[in-house]
Order: sequence, then C-alpha cells, then structure tokens
Amino acid sequence: MTVTAERQDTGTTQPAPHPRVTDRARRERRLGWWLSAPAMLVMLLVTAYPMANALYLSLFEYRLTDPGSRHFIGLSNYGVILTDSVWWSDVVTTFIITAVTVAVELVIGFTLAMVMHKIVFGRRTVRTSILLPYGIITVVSAFAWQFAFASDSGFVNSWFHLGDFAWFSHRTSALVAICLTEIWKTTPFISLLLLAGLAQVPEVLQEAAMVDGATFWQRLWKVTIPNMKAAIMVAVLFRTLDAWRIFDTVSIMTSGAQKTETLSFLTYRQSITRVALGIGSAVSVLLFLTVVLIAVIFVKGFNTDLSQVRGDK
Amino acid sequence: MSSSSTRNRVGWIVGAVIIIAYTMLPIGWILSLSFKGGDDITNKQFLPTKWSLENFRTVFSNDLFTTALRNSIGVALISTLIGVIFAMFAAYAIARLEFPGKKLILSVALAIAMFPVVALVSPLFNMWRSVHLFDTWPGLIIPYVSFTLPLSIWTLSAFFREIPWEMEQAAQVDGATPWQAFRKVIVPLAAPGVFTAAILAFFFAWNEYPLALALTSTTKAKTVPPALASFTGASQFQSATAAIAAAAVVVTVPVIVIVLLFQRRIVAGLTSGAVKG
Amino acid sequence: MTDGADLAVETRRSRRRRSRAAGTVLLIAAGLLTACGKGTSANALTWYINPDNGAQAHLAQKCSAASNGRYSISISTLPTEADAQREQLVRRLAAKDASIDIMSLDPPFTAEFANAGYLRTFSAQEAPDFTNGVLPAPVKTATWKGNLVAAPFWANTQLLWYRKSAVAAMGVDPNSPNFTWDQMIDAASKAKKTVEVQGNRYEGYAVLVNALVLSAGGQVLENNERGRDATVALNSPAGQRAAAVIQKLAASPAADPAIDTSKEEQARAGFQKESGAFMVNWPYIWAAFDTAIKAGTVPANFKDDVGWARYPEVTPGQPSKPPLGGINLAISAFTKHPDFAVEAVRCLTSTDSQKANMLESGNPVARAAVYDDPLIIAKFPMAALIKQSIADGGLRAVTPYYGDVSTGIQRTWHPPGSVNPQKTPQESAKLIQDVFQNKRLL
Repeated sequence: MTVTAERQDTGTTQPAPHPRVTDRARRERRLGWWLSAPAMLVMLLVTAYPMANALYLSLFEYRLTDPGSRHFIGLSNYGVILTDSVWWSDVVTTFIITAVTVAVELVIGFTLAMVMHKIVFGRRTVRTSILLPYGIITVVSAFAWQFAFASDSGFVNSWFHLGDFAWFSHRTSALVAICLTEIWKTTPFISLLLLAGLAQVPEVLQEAAMVDGATFWQRLWKVTIPNMKAAIMVAVLFRTLDAWRIFDTVSIMTSGAQKTETLSFLTYRQSITRVALGIGSAVSVLLFLTVVLIAVIFVKGFNTDLSQVRGDK
Repeated sequence: MSSSSTRNRVGWIVGAVIIIAYTMLPIGWILSLSFKGGDDITNKQFLPTKWSLENFRTVFSNDLFTTALRNSIGVALISTLIGVIFAMFAAYAIARLEFPGKKLILSVALAIAMFPVVALVSPLFNMWRSVHLFDTWPGLIIPYVSFTLPLSIWTLSAFFREIPWEMEQAAQVDGATPWQAFRKVIVPLAAPGVFTAAILAFFFAWNEYPLALALTSTTKAKTVPPALASFTGASQFQSATAAIAAAAVVVTVPVIVIVLLFQRRIVAGLTSGAVKG
Repeated sequence: MTDGADLAVETRRSRRRRSRAAGTVLLIAAGLLTACGKGTSANALTWYINPDNGAQAHLAQKCSAASNGRYSISISTLPTEADAQREQLVRRLAAKDASIDIMSLDPPFTAEFANAGYLRTFSAQEAPDFTNGVLPAPVKTATWKGNLVAAPFWANTQLLWYRKSAVAAMGVDPNSPNFTWDQMIDAASKAKKTVEVQGNRYEGYAVLVNALVLSAGGQVLENNERGRDATVALNSPAGQRAAAVIQKLAASPAADPAIDTSKEEQARAGFQKESGAFMVNWPYIWAAFDTAIKAGTVPANFKDDVGWARYPEVTPGQPSKPPLGGINLAISAFTKHPDFAVEAVRCLTSTDSQKANMLESGNPVARAAVYDDPLIIAKFPMAALIKQSIADGGLRAVTPYYGDVSTGIQRTWHPPGSVNPQKTPQESAKLIQDVFQNKRLL
C-alpha cells in the first residue's frame, strides 16, 4: 500500500519535494487537531459562547422576574455603570485588596521560597505545611479567619486585648481581615512559583559573587533577583489577576458590607441576587475587560514574557 | 566556622518553626473550634475547655452536609478524570506534533486561566436553565473541566517534553502507528505527570465556590463550599459556627491527606507548569 | 433529570433550537452523569422549607400519613438568610423546575414571585380554607393584585423584650401606653445599659427601618400598583423621625459596640450580658433562652427576669406598627401535582398543624383562635401580646421590586451611626427611585 502510494506520488508532477513527509505531516496535523479538539471545544463552550451571550444581553434592560419589561436600550447599561459611584468604589476596593495582598505576598513568598530553597533540615515538613493553605478550600479559610476575628467567638481580640472590637464593623479593619486571609491562603502559590525561579539562578554566579566578597543583600539584589525576573513577573501577573477576581473571601466574611465589595461580588450581586440580567451582563463584560487590561499592561508595559508559561518557546 | 554553622542551623530551625506556625494557625483554630461543645464556642479562647464530638455528630446527621460531601466528591473526581484525559490529548499534541493552530490552543488556555469566573455566572446560568443542566452534576463538571484544562495542559506538556521520544520513534519504526506509540509507550512514562495534573485539578474542583453557588440549589448537586455557606444553627436565626467548623474540618481532611502523600508531586506540578525550570 | 422532552416547555423557537444544539453536545456527559435521580412515586411532593428545628419535617410526615398514601411530602431545606432563600427559589423557578411543589415563602418576596408568574393562584373556592380565622395582616402578605397566591402558615412579629431588674432600676415602664424609643434610649443611656437591635447590613435592618417609618405614620412606598413607577415615600416627616431614632440610638451609650454587625442572635447575646436591658426581637428567643440556660450561659432563673412589651412607639400617642414576618406556603406554578399540593397545603396550614408547629418551633401561628389555647398560653405567656402585635403589624412594601427597596435602604441607612435625618431619607428615596428607573446601579 505504502509503496503504491509512494510511486503514485513520485509519478505526478507536483512541486512538493518530499511527498512522504507531506503525507505524514498531514496525518500528524490531523491527529494534532483531533487530540486538541475536546479540550478546545470545552474551553470555548464554557467561555466564548457565554461571553457572546453576555455581550448581547448587556444591551437590554432585562429583569428575570419581570420578563415582560425586557427591551433594547443600546449601550445605556454601560453608561449607568461607568457613571455610578458603586462601580468606582468597588474598583478602588478591589485595587486596594490587590495591591496590598500582592505586595505583601511577594515579600513573604520570596522569603518562604528562599527558606524552602536553602533548607536542608526539615525540608519535607516545611514544604508540606506550606502546601496546606494552598489546598484548603477558600470558603473554609474565610470562615476560619472570620471566626477568629469575630467579637463573640474569636481569639484575636482576647490575644491582643482588644476587648469587644468589631473587626467587620469598620471598613479598614474589615479590609485588613480580608487581606490577611487572602495573604495566608495564597502566599504558598506565589512562593512555589518563586521557588521555581530561584532554581533557575545559576549556582556558579552566587559562588563567584561570594568569592568577590559580596554581602547577602548585594547578592540578593545583584545576582538572585535579576536572574529570576521572568519568574517574578509571571508570579506577580498571576497573583494580580487572581486577587483582582477575589470573590469567595469577601462573600463569606462581609458580603460586601462596609464598602468591602469587590468587582466580582458586584457582578454576582447584579446577575444572581438582583437577577438584573441586562445590567448584570454589562458588569460581567466590564469585569472581563478590566482583566484583559491588566494582562495587557503586564505583557506590554512590564514586558512579562508569557511564552514560557504558554509553553511555546 | 562550626559556631556559624550551628547558628545557621538554629536559624533554619527557627525559620521552619515560624513557617509551620504561620500555616497551621488557622487550621489548628478551626480544628479546636470544631471540638468546642455547648457554650465553649463563645469562650473567645483558642482552645476548648472541654472537648466534645457533638459538632461532628451534628454535621453527619445533617442531610445537607452529607449529600454535599457526596456531590463534591463525585463532581471533583469526574471533572478531574475528564479534564485530565482531555488535557493529556492536547498536551501530547502540543509537545509532540507539528500542526497549525498550536499557538491558538495555548493562547486560549492562557486566556481561560486569566478569565474572571464570576463573569460567567450569569450567562452560564441562563444557558444551563434552557438546556436543563441547572442544579445537575454535569452543569458543574463542564465548567470545572474547562477551568482546570489550562493548568493541566501546561503541567502535562512540561512533563511530556521530558519524555525520551527516541522510544516512541523506535516504536514507530517497529511499525506502530502514532496512536499506538502514544498509548503503549508514552502513557506509562507520562503517568507521574498525569497524576500531578490530576491532583491540581481535583484541588480546583474541590475548592470552587461562585459557580457552585450560582449553578446549584438543592441537595441534588450542591457541593460543600456553598453548603457550608448556607449552614444553619438550631433555629432560623442562630449562627452555626460550631457546625461550620466541624464540617470544615471534615472537608479539609482529604486535602491534608493528599498534601502529606503527594507533597513532592504538587510542588513539581505547580512549578513546572507555570515557569519551566 | 435532563430529559429532552422538557425542552418543549420553551416557547421561543429560536431558543429551543439553540438549546437543542447545545443539548446534543452535552448529551453524552449528561446521560452518563445524571443517573442519580431518586425513585419518586407519582404523587411525591417536595416542600422547600426554611431551616427550623424539625417542626416542618414532622408536619410533612403527619400530613403524608393523613393522606392515606395519596401523596407524600418530602422536604428540602433552603438557606438561613431570607435573601439567600429568595435567591435560590428564583433560580429554580426561573429554570421552570417542576421539582418544587410547595415552598415556604418569606412574605416580602411574594409580590415578586407572583408577578413573575411563579406562583399558582388559589381559586375563589379554595381561598376561604386558607384565610378563614386567619389574622388579616398575614392574609395581606399572601395576596397579590386581589388574589390569594399563598397560604398563611405562621406569622412573626417583634416584641420589646426587657430585663426586669435593669428596667426597674431605671424607673421606666415599658408597658406604659406611650413608651417610646426616645424614652427607652434615654433611660438605657443613663443606666449605661444597652438597647439591642438588628443593625447589620441585611434584611433584618430593613425590617427595623420599615417598622420605625410605619410607626411614625409614614410609608416606604406609595402607589405600589404602578410597579417601577411607584413613589418612594421615605423622604417624609415620618422617614426623618425614623432616621432620628436610629441616629440617636447609634450615637448613644445604649448602642451595642457591635451594632453595625448585629443580627438577631448577636442581639440576644448582647441582651443576655450584664449590660443588656432592652431588645427588639422575634418570639423565637423565648425558646432560645432555654438553650442558653441549658448551656449554662445564663443563670437558670434568667427567664424570670425577662419581661415583654409592645414594640415601642416613635411618636408618643401614635400606636407602633410592629414588624411583620412569618412564612406563607405557596404552590409553584410549575408543579405537576397542583391538586395534591393544594390538599397538602390545606393540611399543613390547618389550625392543628399551626398549633403543633408553634409548640415545637416557637413560631407564632397565623390563626387567631390558637392564641386562646391553654397549652399555647402555658408555653408562651406572651401569646396575647404576640397576637395583638401581628394584628397591628406593619407590612414591608408590597412590590415586585422589594429586593431593590430593601437593598436601597440597607445601602443608604447603614451603618446606623451614619444616619442623618436631614440627608438619609432623601438619599434613600432618590436612590431607590433611580434604581427603579434603571438610572443607577445598586
């Protein structure tokens, strides 16, 4: 069979110089498509179609429990949202949470990564314990911290002699509690990404710097950090996007009270609580656009190299 | 020299102890809370004054919790299974085959990893209610598969690159088709990577909250995170701190077991998938 | 189960086609994975209940048994918070889910559900069974556009609870005819004791604001029948009086330090403390005190020190309008067994059932006669006051947009310390009106 095919191919006057390769390439190409098709289909089914649907619905005034009043209103939902103080106040809250948690996590995460990288004694125990916050359900961690801060059941107030201080009654203290919970939960993730980056730093450079008499801090700033810049940027990008989408912790701890509402919670509240599908879809689209904007800023502005992440070197 | 190495050693131990205390504090707290009986809940101390198992009896006699546990286990396992199989195919193609559209797949995966899940809640609810997937297992499994795919694809393609491909080529020279080569040679070699991807996917599905909250409503499909959030006390207005704590401990046990058993694999998976070393 | 036949329910053809296309893609997975249905008999009814201590489950058993096997009621529990209960029911009903037959519905959401066509209206022949002998206020909460859309099951109201010892030392009498919020706050402040209320940002706080506005002689909403074109009437002298009360309480030493996050149970905990003196709360707390006694939180004779009075007045001489709550049983418009559901609701809301429910759960009945029952009076010494409070109770605004009204109030009136009589009522009226007109985000 193969022989026949070959002979036919060579007999024709096609310009292809390597007919056998083309044949195999075609097969390979088809196999590649078939193998990727299921993953591609599921990913698009769950995101592309619903987002298109949201884009369409965002042009209507539409309340699920009042279907009779549904009508086309063009872009007016977007106008309402972008001129409303709620949207902007939620943008600010989300920004505060993102900036604080990512900055603190970067420092703690880097320290943890250094310890994990260097430690010989108890390495396994430390790594295992660091993975616990990563694996724990976010809702559980939010409850644990909420109960810890609660003025009727928590230990925080009695440990620090704060009396009946109501943590969730004030914006600042509620945000502190939320950030602390997020930091506890997600630092392990960032520290593991940084650990991978640390492993990339050539040991030779460290030794050379040491021979030259560089101090610990000099080595850190001059050798370690520059050599793992890519890893740091990728870790920061992922954590930033993750923090920007924060929902679980806020939903459990405050439900957005005391101006702790974030963009994700706003989206949920409009479309699921108020069942205002029109304006809710518009908020969804805007939330999506803010995420795209952040990704673009990182990739274009900070030159974050995502080809490594994507795996297409 | 020896004194400085002793000092180093002490330093490392202190560092390790601080890290462990940091990670264990809330876990110890919720554990202690779950053993507080009666009025100890409001004693505002870290530890109970008397240890009690009554909270665990309460949650296990609670239909909402036991069915949620069943739903969580089922949904997480099935979506992990499907997700990892799909990711295996795609990752093989990416690591091994030359075909146009490869970059597109990787870009889509990257976009999905960054996608704000909550933005999907309302459109998915709308879709699901018209195709009758609202409050069903598949209604959760389908989005979970989709959101675990990116990390699985990266982890797996990183592992697949490490596989000695000569063996596959040898098999092909021996007359095996690419498919046979994949099944007989690559699958056994790739198993550890697949396993890592499965653990990470399971964590995601076990943890997911907003979709589970919006796309389920009854014991038919409600998973643990939204069930916890809707837990109730003895009367309409009473808080359920103790019951939530006990339930939280129960659902944390599998996580601790997985972490203890597979610590090395999880670290490898998280680091190799995101930043190739 | 996800059976394709149900797709026919969809009226819009385009949507049906879209559903089919997506349906085929999902069919394999669906067929594999939804093999989890329970073996339901033809006349199995599902009753979605709000969480309680098991009283509703017992009633379901009792009525199933009484039907001699013609129907059987199984229960499914909704979340704790009223808002969350609504959220979940709306989602299921919007999905036209036929698995809901009967639901325990919080009164303020009745209008929204009825307006959306989710509820089966009781016919003129059926209605008297559910309304005869029932106090008028609960019937009003179950009525939409002149039709009975739900059956009053139990009614709730708030009383003013007080610690006899603390109040005696203050020299005031909460049971005197014109006892007002002002007097209460002044007396408690002077004695350094607390007035416990629900001040968290949630439905319970909207209940407080609503009761104060109504007690001051005002309304939250006027011309309700116009739907989204109704008038928000909060910016009135009554609204300002209500705001003044909250402002005064929040600024006084009588406010609990955690007033901003205080719900029913936090209020009870504050009341049980040494500093507790007054509390507005639902009658369930009477049974909750027993739990606290058993747990040793409060002394065994604690209840001897607890007195009760009618909800305080806002304006002296103008009778208060205590908050009105409770649960009505509604039948889903999508039920496959409407006749059995009506029969079941008839049994569940019968005088006997309501009495049994009150004895077990502590939730007050909607039927007037039960309050004269010796068994009830023995267990609930304040029964007559509860009955009177329900009868005089003030409804929350009856509108399909109640959710927006409540959220609008919560947003502008919370935290209690920020309330200002000159600004808050005006702001909230403007906000709710704008939200009705889709001009602002809520």
